[in-house]
Amino acid sequence: MNNPKQGMTLIVKTVTRVTVWLIVLYGIYLILHGHLTPGGGFGGGVILALAFLNIMLAYGRETTQKWLNIKFLEDIEAVSATLFLFMGLLGIALGGHFLINFLPKGSPHSLLSAGNIPILNVLIGVKVAMSLFLVVWVLAGLHEEEGGQS
Amino acid sequence: MTLYLMCFALFLVGVYGLLTKRDLIKLILSIAIMGYSVNLLLILFAYKKDAVFPILLKGTVQGTMVDPLPQALVLTSIVIELGTTALLVALAIRLVQKFKTFDITKIRRLFG
Repeated sequence: MNNPKQGMTLIVKTVTRVTVWLIVLYGIYLILHGHLTPGGGFGGGVILALAFLNIMLAYGRETTQKWLNIKFLEDIEAVSATLFLFMGLLGIALGGHFLINFLPKGSPHSLLSAGNIPILNVLIGVKVAMSLFLVVWVLAGLHEEEGGQS
Repeated sequence: MTLYLMCFALFLVGVYGLLTKRDLIKLILSIAIMGYSVNLLLILFAYKKDAVFPILLKGTVQGTMVDPLPQALVLTSIVIELGTTALLVALAIRLVQKFKTFDITKIRRLFG
């Protein structure tokens, strides 16, 4: 991953290599504690997307494309949205209403509680992270397509 | 009441930028400022004096809470603004590729 011609300087690359995992960890923490503390699927997903964008800014486009499989990220995005719909339809099948709570509720203020809200938070977080990263990815690469005859 | 009027003034800043500026990026920023002022107004509607945030924490007895409904609405509004801004930026990139300028008074003719 050390191509000196692409991306920013060596200082930025080294700092990014250390801090990106902390950013990813913070995003996962926000998503998993979404039913207890402020945050949740959207906020945590935005932070995960920012971690990916940090890599893209520091290491350049081509290195990121080698490291991340962009097509696979698109597949993950579509699958998470489909699973959200599937959870809603499962609520109709088991409880009678869309997105109804069919899992045991647990005790308040514990991590494994609140029924299927943590599962939906994880799905929303993955969806937001992938779609936000892909929006910026596509917009940043728009001039490289054939349409831009400059 | 003063805060509501200041939100309206912020909205008017966005309208002023949308009507007078000629740069594409400044137009997108003006639309974003209008959206932010509406979000701020909705959050201010939910404000109560001496109230706390609407989240139950462990081991504390909560007093009066602010209304959580506008906050959920504003979160949805932020997501929709993100989508519209992404669409506007994509359109602006295409326009700049076609016309080689950011000035909207020069983007008049159809060709292509």
